[in-house]
Amino acid sequence: MNSGIDLQGSFIDLLMGFGLPASLAKLLWIPLPMVLMLLGATVGVLVSVWLERKISAAAQQRIGPEYMGPFGFLAPAADGLKLVFKEDIIPAKSDPLLFTLGPALVVIPVFLSYLIVPFGQNLVITDLGIGVFLWIALSSIAPIGLLMAGYSSNNKYSLLGGLRAAAQSISYEIPLALSVLAVVMMSNSLSTIDIVNQQSGYGILGWNIWRQPVGFIIFWIAALAECERLPFDLPEAEEELVAGYQTEYSGMKFGLFYVGSYVNLILSALLFAVIYLGGWESPIPVGFLTNLIGVSETTPWLQVITASLGIVMVLFKAYLLVFLAVLLRWTVPRVRIDQLLDLGWKFLLPVSLVNLLLTAGLKLAFPFAFGG
Amino acid sequence: MKFLKQVTDYTKGAVQAAQYIGQGLAVTFDHMQRRPVTVQYPYEKLIPSERYRGRIHFEFDKCIACEVCVRVCPINLPVVDWEFNKETKKKQLKHYSIDFGVCIFCANCIEYCPTNCLSATEEYELSAYDRHELNYDNVAMGRIPYKVTNDPMVQPLREFAYLPKGVDNPHEVPHTAPRAGKRPEEILEEMEKAKG
Repeated sequence: MNSGIDLQGSFIDLLMGFGLPASLAKLLWIPLPMVLMLLGATVGVLVSVWLERKISAAAQQRIGPEYMGPFGFLAPAADGLKLVFKEDIIPAKSDPLLFTLGPALVVIPVFLSYLIVPFGQNLVITDLGIGVFLWIALSSIAPIGLLMAGYSSNNKYSLLGGLRAAAQSISYEIPLALSVLAVVMMSNSLSTIDIVNQQSGYGILGWNIWRQPVGFIIFWIAALAECERLPFDLPEAEEELVAGYQTEYSGMKFGLFYVGSYVNLILSALLFAVIYLGGWESPIPVGFLTNLIGVSETTPWLQVITASLGIVMVLFKAYLLVFLAVLLRWTVPRVRIDQLLDLGWKFLLPVSLVNLLLTAGLKLAFPFAFGG
Repeated sequence: MKFLKQVTDYTKGAVQAAQYIGQGLAVTFDHMQRRPVTVQYPYEKLIPSERYRGRIHFEFDKCIACEVCVRVCPINLPVVDWEFNKETKKKQLKHYSIDFGVCIFCANCIEYCPTNCLSATEEYELSAYDRHELNYDNVAMGRIPYKVTNDPMVQPLREFAYLPKGVDNPHEVPHTAPRAGKRPEEILEEMEKAKG
């Protein structure tokens, strides 16, 4: 490992220090990142649900949840608990297998995508060479789950909602992938770690957001549409389809869709932070500060501070974006389905293609600034 | 050239849309620093305004069973049960009832009652488990609701129109602070002064 702290190595060393064989120590390490990923994503959902409710309340001069725990902090946990104990209804003459598989297929890929989210140089579950590609590939599984859910509900509104959701997911997948591709081209790698490393060194000035001014807007719009966030929450449109593909769902199966959309929102925010906002890098590079006060970058205590600062930075950036998404929710009116598809195919797609082309041209013209 | 024009129009549209979204976001963001004006209902209640038309109050002894209330009611709602008393040669009221599950609180009956035996109260909490419970008889309508300002369990709050000048949050002032503008008696006093 190059720099920063090596959690896996030190964990295995620690266990071997207790006299365990190396293979057993490695085996014990394996479930840890998985559990951490699940826990992290779930806690992230709880926090963002709470934030969503509180920020919505503040934007509307309400108070929001208040009595469940301090400042209503336990409200999302109470919501979850309620969903767990609600009856799970499977409608008559539906396809029970597909009906159960639908929500699982929507949620699992989103959780899997957390594999590639880096919180620091070595604070990532797998540093895949095809990280971003994996994320895009995984996120295109969700439409299948949505279609399944809609189709198996034995309800024409659910079917329509499922079709709409699938259409929406597919049409926003492409501009999303194209805008990410531009960044990938600039950093010559699909690995999220490499993308962050390529932005590091100049602090806030080196972030991709300056080099991809159009790309990040496309990315954020497409990401909001992928998460079915409010300007684009047409699959569950209140006026026409009531709840879209989730009409027949109750209890925890409904909760899974809900969790899925929030996990997806946080995932998108995290990846936005990684791809465009320099990931774990702070606005003023830590190396520059340490050089000023004359501390070596390899000092153990400094490495611990840098690692925690990295986690804080990534989370801060991600939640800033979640905040923006919540504000957007109360600012922008919902679009119609034809406007949604128009925006996806007639605006975002050509613009992202042009953006990709421009990035390629700039990369050839100014290789020093655009990662030649 | 036509294509170029299309592109410029499209770009203009996109920029304009972005501008509008930015404006909207600025408004929403500005709302974040405003304080909540929530009335936390079971603990805090708004004081009903002066001419609030709540549940109807009925005084049995004043009623002459003329049934004017039934005639002015849009749906002939009040049920007046009377019997002709041959000795006094007058109608004698036996029962009176209004179904508040059907009543629209237009207060026409109150307006036209010749003996003022009907009046509007401030009561608005009329929820019941069964809609038949909303059919109030003369005994139920004879009850006077407990005033919000007298209830020690409740913090009374005033509506926007009854707050002092410059205050838009009822939590900020005690409910006894004078409201914006002059009160009728003050205007009367001034008029008297101007006269004499």
